[in-house]
Amino acid sequence: MTTPRFAEIAAKVRAGERLSEDDGIALYLEPDLLAVGQLANEVRERLHGDRTYFNVNLRYEATNVCEASCRFCAFAKLEKGQPGAQTATHEAAWKELAEFPDERLSELHMVNGLDPNLAFEWYEELLRGWKKLRPSIHLKCFTAVEIHYFAQKFAMSHEQVLQRLMAAGLDTMPGGGAEIFHPEVRERISRDKADGDEYLAVHRAAHRLGMKTNCTMLYGHIETHAHRIDHLMRLRALQDETQGFQCFIPLAFHNMHNAMEQLPESTAVDDLRTISVSRLMLDNIPHVKAYWVSMTVETAQIGLRFGADDLDGTIVHETIYHSAGSTVPMGLTRHDLLRLIREAGRVPVERDSLYGVVEEYPRASAPEGSMKVKDRNAKKHLELAR
Amino acid sequence: MNADGHGGQGPGGKALGKLLTKNRYGAGPIDPNGKLRFAGVGYLNTQPILHGLLQGLGASRLLLELGRPSEVARRLFEDEADAALVPAAAIAMHGGLEIAPGIAVGARGPVRSVVLLSERPVEELDTLLLDSSSRTSVVLARLVAAHLRKGRALTVYSRTPAQILAETRGGTGAVLIGDDALAARGRFACELDLAEAWQAWTGLPFVFAVWGARRGVLDESVRALLSASLEAGLAARTEIGVSWAEAHGGLAAEHERYLRENLHYELDEAALAGLREFFARAAEAKLLPPCEVRLAGTDATTPAAGRHDSRGHDSRSLDALLDFAAEGGRLSFDEALRLAEDAPTLDLGLAADARRRALHPEGVVTYIVDRNVNYTNACTVACRFCAFYRPIGHGDVYVLSREELRAKIQEVVDAGGVQVLLQGGINPDLRLTWYEELFVWWKSEFPNVALHALSPEEIWGLARLETECGEPTTIDEVLRRLMAAGMDSLPGGGAEVLTDRVRRKIAKAKCTSAEWLECMRVAHRLGLHTTATMMYGTTDTAVDRLAHLFKVRDLQDETGGFTAFICWDYQHDQGVKQVAGDTGTVLYLRMQALARLVLDNVRNIQSSWVTQGPGVGQLALRYGANDLGSTMFEENVVSSAGTTFTMDAQQIERHARAAGFTVARRNMRYQWLTTPS
Repeated sequence: MTTPRFAEIAAKVRAGERLSEDDGIALYLEPDLLAVGQLANEVRERLHGDRTYFNVNLRYEATNVCEASCRFCAFAKLEKGQPGAQTATHEAAWKELAEFPDERLSELHMVNGLDPNLAFEWYEELLRGWKKLRPSIHLKCFTAVEIHYFAQKFAMSHEQVLQRLMAAGLDTMPGGGAEIFHPEVRERISRDKADGDEYLAVHRAAHRLGMKTNCTMLYGHIETHAHRIDHLMRLRALQDETQGFQCFIPLAFHNMHNAMEQLPESTAVDDLRTISVSRLMLDNIPHVKAYWVSMTVETAQIGLRFGADDLDGTIVHETIYHSAGSTVPMGLTRHDLLRLIREAGRVPVERDSLYGVVEEYPRASAPEGSMKVKDRNAKKHLELAR
Repeated sequence: MNADGHGGQGPGGKALGKLLTKNRYGAGPIDPNGKLRFAGVGYLNTQPILHGLLQGLGASRLLLELGRPSEVARRLFEDEADAALVPAAAIAMHGGLEIAPGIAVGARGPVRSVVLLSERPVEELDTLLLDSSSRTSVVLARLVAAHLRKGRALTVYSRTPAQILAETRGGTGAVLIGDDALAARGRFACELDLAEAWQAWTGLPFVFAVWGARRGVLDESVRALLSASLEAGLAARTEIGVSWAEAHGGLAAEHERYLRENLHYELDEAALAGLREFFARAAEAKLLPPCEVRLAGTDATTPAAGRHDSRGHDSRSLDALLDFAAEGGRLSFDEALRLAEDAPTLDLGLAADARRRALHPEGVVTYIVDRNVNYTNACTVACRFCAFYRPIGHGDVYVLSREELRAKIQEVVDAGGVQVLLQGGINPDLRLTWYEELFVWWKSEFPNVALHALSPEEIWGLARLETECGEPTTIDEVLRRLMAAGMDSLPGGGAEVLTDRVRRKIAKAKCTSAEWLECMRVAHRLGLHTTATMMYGTTDTAVDRLAHLFKVRDLQDETGGFTAFICWDYQHDQGVKQVAGDTGTVLYLRMQALARLVLDNVRNIQSSWVTQGPGVGQLALRYGANDLGSTMFEENVVSSAGTTFTMDAQQIERHARAAGFTVARRNMRYQWLTTPS
């Protein structure tokens, strides 16, 4: 029961044509959610078949002290010494990695507050220490907002900041801090940090230095569908220029313990539709992630049939979303991720941070949802029949 | 009913090895000796077909067990038989079966044992009572009646033979089958022999039963065995009449005459045409799923059939099958199984969403403001998956007092609620009078709070308890007394999966599948509305889960008493993990979509957000569900096993609206209590 407008969009997608801003908004308004999902799934399968990526990663936050006052944030503590404010020592941060039990840990993913008390060298030493401890570890650290903050605070260009951190061991940048680029929204939710252009400028600089990065969008608060599509269009334009984005991650707003508690949270249908619309609009970004911390494990799993090809990773210890009321587990095991992907009828691929294959796992013997009548052990079955 | 005494190890092992891979389930026969499992209806009319086998023919190759038609069909559906001599309707309901050529229980003219009895001609009746134990006869009766009445509808009720005889008078007619039919001859002014009426109408014979089997079972040697068995039987009709009279009474000559004059055992071209005609007309009347007649050992079946994909399913593409289901086509068991196995989840969702939209075109999602109250946790049933119950005498055992109940009910009233779902364990300290007094008290204190109370397990428990205490009581009496005391409706809990191999594994002491269904049948006949549930994900397979759906659909055809179906998977965080099986979000959405597609006669599907979480519960509205259940002030049973999702009315409404629907509050009958908004 799709609309004629949807049929036009579907025809464009199938012909490999690029979707317009207007198409994006129409996809948000299309009543038939599953049809949108199926169209996105077609694109996802064209790009990746059944392959579904995850990694063994460790989330780390070295400091939650932050100068910015983003209204959606329940993680940051504005001042050092405030109850709950925590800044790790180098030793504690290094110990976290040293004691990580899984030898196959491939990535350390660090995101921090904008802490005015730390010197630039402190970060450089932190990275060097990790690399020294485990040279193979991939360091995916600092959002564009942090990089921009360093540039301002330490009077360097984005390039200079990135070059020094790369020299200290930085491998890639995560996509956090994008929020919603459009000033109508951004000025109301996070006015005192890098704006949309500055976020994109940092990523452009990183891409020019040969670094791969991810990108995100924080949705489900005060923005409109038009703001979301505008956000995706800006990402798509930069990607046309640099080809430096690996993966787009839609992030659902959570409403506890922050300044926007009065707003309702997005629901599963919006989470899935946003995955689908992102997959369809971002025709030049290879991967779309169903980030289970943001959208719950269950919805993320269903997202693997709505356009997503990545489940993120084990995470181990997430605090940003959990500060805002997320009730998902703090981490998942490799076993959990394999089960989730196989249950969705997909082929699990353990990846490194640059989407290199660490291991491709066999497809589950049962198809989607384990509905196949199982091979039965005759003897056991007899017992039941009696 | 097991009349077979064959034993010994046979030489069939080699040929059976092939079957292991050919069989639908990839499993092959499970008889300990590797024999094929055959089942047959053990009535007089099938004796000629079974005769040779019962005399020991083919004993090394197959194991034959006899039963009532419903039991024989059940074995075929639930993968406990490889082939079965079943009523024609079961062939269509299962779908995908091959029929043994040349052999049938048929009639070309009067059959005497399937009759419509009444005081007035069928054209002048307004009501028809049916013995629903024979689906084939029921369908035949409805087709013939519709034909003779030129399409004018009859109200149809399902009754036991004894009830039928007591209630047939005036404008009410009756369909009787078998011995009941023969015994009732001459008692009513009008007797319409349904096989004769069929012949007069279509010019074709009527086929009552045939051998049906999954592909590959009826190979050449098995077909030869079955033909030889019939040949021996036809030659022995005199002896059969004599031995039947010895075992079951009646006159030997009369039995023999029935076998010789009324029944016709050859599935020839005319009989095949009659069978096809029956399937076509039944499908057109939406009484049976469309069914192609496919003979074993020949490709020359009906023109559309004959080619099959590698799995042995019909050549009809999966897409065509999904379209058929999305348009409201009645699925056969085989077709539903194919969808369960092979259809992508999104496609199942799209088809189920189309069905949901067709049944509820107004785009309204409903929910009820009510609460669960578990009046006692003492229970003697000891289900292995249950983390809620406490054995009798345990220190944590409770029975809620009137004061505690009053407080809980008052909270419902204060929240604008209209109902309480009252369920508890099987507690032998609580006699029927305890419930009667409770319900009377309840209705005097809270006349506007509906009592959605006591699952079939508790009804059976009460009937047994009263009987053990020296006051023999049937479930019919239990239900009547509880209704008189104020019970409004019956929740469909405790169904788990309605196949006994699963129930015996996870809940040995629980009522059987047939008992659960019987309780619902009786409740519906008494005018109670009930829901039906399924808790899967323990030891069940796809066959079990679909068998469950088909049992619900069959009973609903008979009674129309189910208002809604709800399924969820076993929540096992703290339960007994060794029984955990197929669970998870993807399977949940698939099961719910399949339920929407299979249960074409159940109007409402409830999403189980309580177990699946608000997100998946909301998504379920796009996979066939049209209802978000209850506000659930408390839930003790599932949450004992670890799940603790809650939503208040505002959250429920927000989730429904965000999914693109308007919302209305409802009662248990699914009547809107508020204007959708």
